[in-house]
Amino acid sequence: MLISLPEACTADRVAALWRTTLPAVARLGGGDTLTLDAEAVAACDGAGEALIVELYRRSARQGFAIACRDGRGVVARTLGLFAVERFAEDPAAANPARNTSTAVQLGQAAVHIWQDACGQMAFLGEATVAAFTLLLRPGRLRLRDTLLHFERAGIDALPITLLIGFLLGLILAFMSATSMRQFGVEVYVADLIAIGLFRELGALITAIILAGRSGSAFAAEIGTMKVNEEVDALETFGLPPVVFLALPRVIAATLVMPLLTVFAIVAGLLGGALVVTSLGVPATTYWQHVVKATTLGNILLGLFKAAVFGLLVGLVGCSHGLQTGRTADAVGRAATAAVVGSLILITVFDGLFAVLFYVLGI
Amino acid sequence: MRMTDAVITVAGVDAGYEHPVVRGISFEVFAGEVFVILGGSGCGKSTLLKHMIGLNPPLAGEIRLMGDRLFGGSQEERSRALRRFGVTYQSGALFGSMTLLENVCLPLEAFTDLPREARHLVAEMKLELVGLKAYAGYFPADISGGMKKRAAIARAMALDPRILFLDEPSAGLDPVTSAELDRLILRLRDTQGVTVVMVTHELASIFAVADRCIMLDKQTQRLIASGAPAELRAHAELPAVRAFFNREG
Repeated sequence: MLISLPEACTADRVAALWRTTLPAVARLGGGDTLTLDAEAVAACDGAGEALIVELYRRSARQGFAIACRDGRGVVARTLGLFAVERFAEDPAAANPARNTSTAVQLGQAAVHIWQDACGQMAFLGEATVAAFTLLLRPGRLRLRDTLLHFERAGIDALPITLLIGFLLGLILAFMSATSMRQFGVEVYVADLIAIGLFRELGALITAIILAGRSGSAFAAEIGTMKVNEEVDALETFGLPPVVFLALPRVIAATLVMPLLTVFAIVAGLLGGALVVTSLGVPATTYWQHVVKATTLGNILLGLFKAAVFGLLVGLVGCSHGLQTGRTADAVGRAATAAVVGSLILITVFDGLFAVLFYVLGI
Repeated sequence: MRMTDAVITVAGVDAGYEHPVVRGISFEVFAGEVFVILGGSGCGKSTLLKHMIGLNPPLAGEIRLMGDRLFGGSQEERSRALRRFGVTYQSGALFGSMTLLENVCLPLEAFTDLPREARHLVAEMKLELVGLKAYAGYFPADISGGMKKRAAIARAMALDPRILFLDEPSAGLDPVTSAELDRLILRLRDTQGVTVVMVTHELASIFAVADRCIMLDKQTQRLIASGAPAELRAHAELPAVRAFFNREG
């Protein structure tokens, strides 16, 4: 078999040569001779060198001989630079990260989940201790940072909260009104919207917005600080990252959530009003029903849930931020995990509250 | 080594983003030489390098890489110029989610039709050139700073560029690792025939690898000296050059 290397033995030409000749080379065995003609080669790049190494690697593996015409010394130079025996292995074998069986991957995933859970618990413990310490020495709280995060998570989130709240009220009213109208009780849509928003949906939808908007930002900000070794710098200064970075964000999220929830509820009630009044119910009647259906208990219950959801979003976001790895990729994963974790916990706690309030008869 | 063919021509360049940091820079870099751009912090070394690698257009003047312009010409001309060089950044700038092998494979995937097996072998050979073949499967987070710099050089060399730009390659490295990197740069120049343009202010590296250098000055905003490093140290007339080479305050 004869392989003639082209004058320009570069990636463009080598790509075609690799595909056309190497399948035939694979059929050679002991006793065969491959003639490698490199006389014409004027320029040889990394791809050309790789082809030469590959042929000699296969010769060593399959046992065929190579007769080389190498007047310009291209092959000799390549083999001088790259000892063929150094490339005997399959390149993929040098990649331990990719050569794991399903069982090993499952095990690694289980260990990762366990470590993640331990990390969350450790963070929760640290945050609790830090919070109690703050109660004794409130001056340690970085008030400026807290206010900054309050502004970012709250005031900056107001437009989207109002929009989503308004649309939620509108959709809720429209969907319920179409059914209720059949029985001529569309005026009770106001009661449904008021109870639904105050007790359940106002806090829930605001928490989802906060998790997507601010929870991910908390994780990404702290994660990037970890990648840049800013978190290490804090620790070496003797400033606990939980107090310095996490608590201002957690406190801001906890305080801002009830306020945002109020705005979302008001926007939702306005959305509902738009639908109900367009169905012919007077606005006064709508608002009278809203006021009648809204009890102090419902308001406080909704705001309590909102504060708890805010606390969860803050804790989960900061916790994932502080557990970020050292790469840009890890920051992205931390932000995703913060949102997913927050949503799961919000749903779980919402369910728990529903059961608890039912048992307590609230 | 032939010192006759200019592979890079910088003519009357004002370097900066909105306002010039250095003005009227002109020089040529010849094939096969190690050329160093040096100067104190903030003098515009890295800004000039960013113009030379096509990240930002210079405020004035023209830069040609082997005759092709990166700015002011056609898109084909720019693409041709871009294919002719590799760059390593101060931090290495390796992609953290990829192994070293995958990092080096990336430009091969993007710009060649080589089959996967060939790409892997080329990447392995580039890693062998920088002494990191055994670490092909490692992620950047798992290797030392010096190894990251070497891996970044392997990635920059993946497409066999004629010119290699290195931004502060010795930054943050200990003297021994830094000297290893210097030897690697010279080996690449000798075995691969690559022209090296390096931005640094590490005196030891400058004397170890540079054939010629230019010095930029922050105060005058000008190129104030050019020549071989030993010449500059011996015959520097300007106090700023003397101070730099003799490490005087």
